[in-house]
Amino acid sequence: MKSSIYKYIIAASLLGTACEKKLDLANPQSLDADIVFSTDDRVKKVLIGNYASLGAATLFGGDVLWMSELLGSDGELTWVGTFPDPRQIILKNIQINNSNVFATYAQAYRVIYNSNNILANLDVVKAVDRSRVEGEAKFLRAMAYFELIKYFGEKPYIAGNTTSLKGVPLITAPGPSSPTSAEYQLPRATVEAVYTQIIADFTDAEAKLPSLPGAVGRNSVYANRAAAALGLARVYLQQAKYAEARDAANRSITFAATVGMSLVPVFANEFNTTANTPEDIFSMQVTLQAGTNSCFTFFSTATYGARDGDIEVNLKHMDKYETGDRRKDLFFFEAGAFRVGKWQQNFRNVKVMRLAEAYLTRAECNVRLGTSVGATVAADIKRIRDRAALPEIEAPTLQQVLQERELELAFEGQGAWDAKRLKLTTDGLSWDDPKMTFPIPLRERNINPGLEQNPGYN
Amino acid sequence: MRKLIIALIGCLVMVSFTAIAQKSVTGKVTDSKTGLGLPGVTVNVKGTSSGTSTGGDGTFTLTVPDDKTVLVFTYVGYTSQERAASGNLSISLEEGVSDLDAVVVVGYGTSIKKELTGAIGKVKGEEIKNMPVPNFNQALQGRAAGVFVETQNGKVGEGIKVRIRGASSVNSSNQPLYVVDGIPLAGGAFGSSTADINFNDVESFEILKDAAASAIYGSRAANGVVVITTKRGKQGKTQFNLGAQYGTNAPTNKRGFLNAQEYVDYFQQAGRGAAEFHMRPDGGDNWFGFTDLQDAYDYMQGIIVGRLNRYSGFIPNRGGVDWRNGQIDTNWEDLAFQDANTNQIELSAQGGNEKTRFFIAGSINNQDGILIGNKFQRMSARINLDHQVNNWLKIGFNSSLSKITRDRVPDDNAFSTPMQIVALAPITPVRDTAGLLFSTPVTTYYNPLLEIEQSTRRTEGFRNQGSIYAEFKLAKGLMFHTDLGLDMIIQNSENWWGPRTLVGLASPLQQGVATSEWFRNTRWMNNNYLSYKTTVSDKHKFDFTAGFAFENLDERYTYVEGSDFPDLALKTVGSTTTITAGDGTRGENNLVSMFGRVNYVFDDKLLIGASIRDDADSRFGTNYKHGQFWSASAGFILSDLNFMKGIDVISFLKPRISYGTTGNNTGLGYYDAKSQYGAATYGTASGLAISRFGNDDLRWETVEQFNIGIDFGLFNNKLTGEIDWYNKQTNDMLLNRPVTSVSGTTAIFGNIGEMENKGVELTLNTVNISNRNFKWTTSLNISHNKNKLLKLDGEQNEILPNDARFANALIVGQPIGVFWAPKFLGANADNGDAQYEGEDGRPTRFWDEAKKQIVGDPNPEWFGGVTNTVGWKGFELSFLFQGVFGNQVQDGAGGFMSSSASWFDNQTKDQLAAWQKTGDVTMVPQARLLWLDGDDGASNISSRYVYDASYVRLKSLSLGYTVPTKIMSRLGLNSARIYVSGVNLLTWTDYPGWDPEVNTDYRSSNVNQGSDFYAAPQIKSWVFGINLGF
Repeated sequence: MKSSIYKYIIAASLLGTACEKKLDLANPQSLDADIVFSTDDRVKKVLIGNYASLGAATLFGGDVLWMSELLGSDGELTWVGTFPDPRQIILKNIQINNSNVFATYAQAYRVIYNSNNILANLDVVKAVDRSRVEGEAKFLRAMAYFELIKYFGEKPYIAGNTTSLKGVPLITAPGPSSPTSAEYQLPRATVEAVYTQIIADFTDAEAKLPSLPGAVGRNSVYANRAAAALGLARVYLQQAKYAEARDAANRSITFAATVGMSLVPVFANEFNTTANTPEDIFSMQVTLQAGTNSCFTFFSTATYGARDGDIEVNLKHMDKYETGDRRKDLFFFEAGAFRVGKWQQNFRNVKVMRLAEAYLTRAECNVRLGTSVGATVAADIKRIRDRAALPEIEAPTLQQVLQERELELAFEGQGAWDAKRLKLTTDGLSWDDPKMTFPIPLRERNINPGLEQNPGYN
Repeated sequence: MRKLIIALIGCLVMVSFTAIAQKSVTGKVTDSKTGLGLPGVTVNVKGTSSGTSTGGDGTFTLTVPDDKTVLVFTYVGYTSQERAASGNLSISLEEGVSDLDAVVVVGYGTSIKKELTGAIGKVKGEEIKNMPVPNFNQALQGRAAGVFVETQNGKVGEGIKVRIRGASSVNSSNQPLYVVDGIPLAGGAFGSSTADINFNDVESFEILKDAAASAIYGSRAANGVVVITTKRGKQGKTQFNLGAQYGTNAPTNKRGFLNAQEYVDYFQQAGRGAAEFHMRPDGGDNWFGFTDLQDAYDYMQGIIVGRLNRYSGFIPNRGGVDWRNGQIDTNWEDLAFQDANTNQIELSAQGGNEKTRFFIAGSINNQDGILIGNKFQRMSARINLDHQVNNWLKIGFNSSLSKITRDRVPDDNAFSTPMQIVALAPITPVRDTAGLLFSTPVTTYYNPLLEIEQSTRRTEGFRNQGSIYAEFKLAKGLMFHTDLGLDMIIQNSENWWGPRTLVGLASPLQQGVATSEWFRNTRWMNNNYLSYKTTVSDKHKFDFTAGFAFENLDERYTYVEGSDFPDLALKTVGSTTTITAGDGTRGENNLVSMFGRVNYVFDDKLLIGASIRDDADSRFGTNYKHGQFWSASAGFILSDLNFMKGIDVISFLKPRISYGTTGNNTGLGYYDAKSQYGAATYGTASGLAISRFGNDDLRWETVEQFNIGIDFGLFNNKLTGEIDWYNKQTNDMLLNRPVTSVSGTTAIFGNIGEMENKGVELTLNTVNISNRNFKWTTSLNISHNKNKLLKLDGEQNEILPNDARFANALIVGQPIGVFWAPKFLGANADNGDAQYEGEDGRPTRFWDEAKKQIVGDPNPEWFGGVTNTVGWKGFELSFLFQGVFGNQVQDGAGGFMSSSASWFDNQTKDQLAAWQKTGDVTMVPQARLLWLDGDDGASNISSRYVYDASYVRLKSLSLGYTVPTKIMSRLGLNSARIYVSGVNLLTWTDYPGWDPEVNTDYRSSNVNQGSDFYAAPQIKSWVFGINLGF
């Protein structure tokens, strides 16, 4: 018996050696990165994952929309919530460590990282889908860069000197696998360079995306040709290149029409939807399980499961509507203030691009240029006003078109960008005041001291 | 390493045995108290390894060289005795041992205190028995040098911070490793897993502090090891013990907030303050366009009155009453607390014969939390069994089962947590005329009472922890131990929120939400080791240990959430219409270890030790699969030198020194080393997204520790003590090295940082008076630790806070988590503006122009405890004062509740001292409602909310009376003791918040220390109890 103990000891030590093989365990919840870009299926799944990245709360899951509205608010909104970071934005008194500012900056580069990886591995994608995958990846990258340049660019594009104004670091290919690599310590590219990249991406996307969003087994929740064209129109508007903007908007409308898209007859029905409407050119999908809508979080109230109504709409905005404007009816009064009805309900899609915007952009450019590309200004404005139950304007002036645009798209994320390109004064600040631009986040400059700060911040 | 073990085994077998028998001695060892024979007492020939142990009746027979031979009788828990070996001996051993001869449990074996070369603290189970706290860590607070314990808040059975010799890491756990009867403990998902242990079953806690003591636990020992040994049966008549206690729990403190009249007056003052600010000639910002001061006054008064109407539920009429008539004065703070009881009942039995001994115990402990809706219950059972099969084989079994039920309350940052109720206005009535609770918009924020009324959040945990073992006596002095251990935790958390709750409102159809979470952690392990003790040529005593171990851990987690119930009475997920969320994950970890230790004693004076451990862990990166840890130590019993024996004052003196390395593997998730893509859903489509940026070099953190100490006994050991000085250097510290977002991620995990802890510890035990009727002993410990961050990623020297409420920073050269914020200078006497120290050193009212600097340190400089125990006849009084000194706490909620009325949260009373007129010198700036955009600096993060949090506390007190045995035996009982006992009874502090012992739960981490945010005060308990033995 006793001698068998020694055998036991020896056997047990051998077991211990065998255990060494157990040291390589795979994570049941994930795939090793080195095999992800190995098959067609996986690259396409990474592409879908990049929509989820774009739809993060810190980007198009809502933050870039409400931050634009707070930044562009000229006394029309009041932030009454307890969070100090959004309050800094509406007060145009943004600290360099503002957490919302940083989160958006970082998330935009995550989307860019994903797109860069997908684009570098297109050869793995089946030839039949390669062009579409490329178009989608470029669309997502352009969306991210466009937010970056608008928020963090030293000055708006229309300020001129775009080849010397500082933009944001530009990266368009996968870098070294180690994120600590010095190759990522990029300086800020110029505003011009970033715009050029965005235009190239949107243009390429427009060419390569299917105009029919529902191409083989896919539904309309993904990028399509109309979205790429409207993206371009937005970019050109920021550049005050009205002919290009007009044509892009017109193409967007045309692409949309070919797949049967149209304005939703009742204004209120366009909002708080769980699925895309025929008017939705691009929206971030929110379900009970996935996606977030931070506009709901801050614009809505506790009655609907949001916070306590952090953003109030002031009479200054409410007084802008004509009597009988259906769009005004969508606001709701609660907890002592008007609230934005567009964001009332929980678990609803975040509308990023609506067909109505394309009409308004086309109308604005047509009126500015005295043209009638696609349709007359009056016809485009009529579509919008009809739905709002307002009388037709026979020959809309630029001012009237802009007024229509402001009310139609109110609090959907165009606030700051329209204010800047139209050179409006916001809370006493000039459109190109340094306070109207976000600071480069403190932590980015701590890591990369070569990254220059925007004027007015240190 | 394996070669080393084989060599070691060979070595052990080759050693020759030299004892030569000449004379026979017999005798009997008895318990001095009961007179019964003591089995298993070790009888050794002094200075040799030869000896025997007593049989079932306490008798022994031993052959010894000659009459001059001295025999040493040792038995766990009894004072050792030495006797000349002659004829038939009768030895009566006294329970309780002199400190020096006490058996100390170390990793994979035991030692005698006198022969230790490492720094080991010890707390006997008896010292903390029956303390009315749920977690033994709370009971250990203030009792051992170098061991800092902090209960994060007054929620019962929740998180506790334990730091042995400071914080060694930024991102890995700084909690010690717990080993119960040789089995390392796993952690749970909800609540503190150390609360699962019924500490009345514990015989002793050994706290392994330096590398000499802890290196044998390798990659998990960097924060020290707490070795817990549970009670085992002793041979003899079966003894039953019945214990019961009952008492009350209450908060240690209530802060006090403005009453209704003060609230109304103060906010009107704040409205005027805001108006005056905007209309100020010197740069007040009248962007709103008031025509004159009166216009501004009127406007602000309108705002204030509107809010007062709303918060009183008066206009529009929501069932409230006019705030002007003072009818309602709600003390919301009082409503956060409940009447709370605590009770415990337990029954244990122990006994056995020469072959089999057992200890069994069962108990139920109920503790109401002081917060409404908070409750803790532990039911536990334990069986410890030992069986001597024959003269060379012993087998045994330890098992503990427990069920923990927690009714939890939300984290401190949730509107729904009871303590946030203090933000509500005192003019708000609790209920409307229909008896329904008011909530927003009448209450300023969500009413936490609604949460209590319309939610349940219960966590149940089941834990099975134990092992089977066998010990083979292979040859004289050579023993082989093998065991198979299991530690399994199964936890289930069932929550329900009704339609009116915040969570319920956030659900799609707003008809309630339910969640169910399941967590299971199964950890099994196998330890095998040989130990060999021998004495060569009478003077060379060796003790070898060598072995290997394997551990496997498997974690499973499942979650499901549903919403929309047909009825309030239905509360489980199955009754919902829609499943809204779900999750299910697995994790696995393997650890393969080899270890060895040798202790050598020369001539009973010179002590030398060394230990080594090799850990191979599946979580380490491919470039670092194995980690080696080791220690070397030495001690010298100076007092046994001849020349020292003449010095009467000194009865014992042993300097010792140790150096070695230990590791910390807890900072690594099981799969952190690899770059990975995980599932990411967009709409209803499945996708992949990068979930981890990996690093092949990821590995354990290494702590090198140097320790030098002296153990001493003076005046015939009436005064004993230990002094230690240590230097702990953490290398390869895991840090999220910030990287530029341009790379696609914001940080990458790597072994880059360095940290240092240096400190001194002093323990003193004195017997002040000791005679037949009266005994008074004092035990004091005091510790100083200085933490310093030496290196972050080598490129940046600070990671500054990016938080609007909390200022914990990492700054090289400074302790971990220091507060980095503007320095607040109080109110400007001229205009009441908040003032901060500017970059140029001069005051500025602009917060963003203020100079950021270190304004506090959450790490204590000193901490300690003093226990006095006084016994007189049958009475015993014991009380512990415990203190923490030189640390600060930052109140993150200060910007809400002590903010010069920046918003409508009810304010602390100290805000009444706000600046009012030119010349007022005060630290509280002018009361100004921040209704209009403008200067919002006063309530921003700054040293305004950093407070000194040193305290001294009467931590525990117990007064007991043991009924004389004579009386008890007449009643057929062996013993009876009645007692009253209390914890957290009195606190002395300058901290203005609820309690200075605080670290708010929702952000508690290594760096985020010393944070208060509506954290509940600690629990003060009084209990009455009785113990009966029969």
